[in-house]
Amino acid sequence: MSEGVEVINDEGPAQEQKEASVKSPDSNDANEKITSKPTTSSSGKQKNPSKVDILLKHAGDAPIMSKRKWTVDRTKKISWVADFIKKYIKSESSESLFLYVNQSFAPAPDTDLGSIFDCFGSDGKLVLHYCRTQAWG
Amino acid sequence: MISLNNKGTVSDMAEDREILREVWEGKIPVCFQLAQEDIYTVDQPDPFFLLVPRLSYFPLVTDKVVKHLSKHVDRDNQGEMWLEYEGQALKWHYPIGLLFDMFGSRADLPWNLTVHFQNFPEEELLHCPSKDAVESHFMSVIKEADALKHRGQAVNNMQRKDHKTLWNGVMNDKFDQFWSVNKKLMEVSGEDTFKFIPFRVYQMDQVPLQRLFKPTDDNGDVLTLRHMLESVITDFQEKKSRVLIQGVEPDLDTPVLWLSEHLSYPDNFLHICLQSSPSEVLQSES
Repeated sequence: MSEGVEVINDEGPAQEQKEASVKSPDSNDANEKITSKPTTSSSGKQKNPSKVDILLKHAGDAPIMSKRKWTVDRTKKISWVADFIKKYIKSESSESLFLYVNQSFAPAPDTDLGSIFDCFGSDGKLVLHYCRTQAWG
Repeated sequence: MISLNNKGTVSDMAEDREILREVWEGKIPVCFQLAQEDIYTVDQPDPFFLLVPRLSYFPLVTDKVVKHLSKHVDRDNQGEMWLEYEGQALKWHYPIGLLFDMFGSRADLPWNLTVHFQNFPEEELLHCPSKDAVESHFMSVIKEADALKHRGQAVNNMQRKDHKTLWNGVMNDKFDQFWSVNKKLMEVSGEDTFKFIPFRVYQMDQVPLQRLFKPTDDNGDVLTLRHMLESVITDFQEKKSRVLIQGVEPDLDTPVLWLSEHLSYPDNFLHICLQSSPSEVLQSES
């Protein structure tokens, strides 16, 4: 599976239609905030300190994402990642989606990714499992 | 008053156990008043007074408040209850003592909170559909804490009934029940010390800070609260800061391991509030 890194840009919803943004071919309408900029290399060189790499893995009956590795602003919240995944897998926004760290605990939706990455990231990335029901705990 | 004698030696252990109980018994007097814009009835609702445990969560202690005040609210527009202090919406998923240390510690008592049933601040607060939501949040934080302390092994070795005992201890304010299980999560003996200290630092209008921090340095020397604060705040200035944990201003030379064992909330995290010190405020004004 291709795991090229794409950058989810750090602009808020108000600026989601930046003229420079290019829709990722496999994200379709999943998220307007995605830009297909291969500027951040996946080799770990020249990492932008304001961003973190996350690897999204499905659990239970949640659909698999064809692209699993993303680079996201450190200040983004867990709830933002959940909304992003829901759009990507075309899940209704009213449906629940749970995100787990270490396949063990679900950080509060208002937790920022940077803190979780600092404490639970390994090999330069943070693995998050997503599922539609409470898979762990 | 809790005295922080924190050598952590065996002879202190009985005394230290008393500290756990003192912390557990910390309570805050709160006056709940219905927001003016929510009052639908001609007669004004009386305020509702409660003495609430620091270690609890607002959704666990406000059933009676909701029952009392919702009589004065337009039923057709009644939404989920939320609390506010001087314009600040209060997060239900933070322990009450933490909220008080953050926003109320310089206020007069009782702590005057405004109760709302309308205009839920979606951007600031999480919804709390039921007490089950509080329970799953609480257990999740415990698991996160144990992931830091013991790579999650202590909590994973527990049975589901142990998890329930922890939760029921908090929900029903039962110290002995809670500690009968929590002691397994707090065990530090010999090699089995905490790998990292579960802590978060809260500052006004900022996201909480959380980093990996070990109880000792590479040489085995004990690390203190001062070391911890310096590690997360680049320009930590001791004289300009007021540090509050559980309403107490601990000595900055206190070992973090001792603090983690004794001043953690039931969720097993040290929730540390950092404010600008009052004397500093006075000096800059004069």
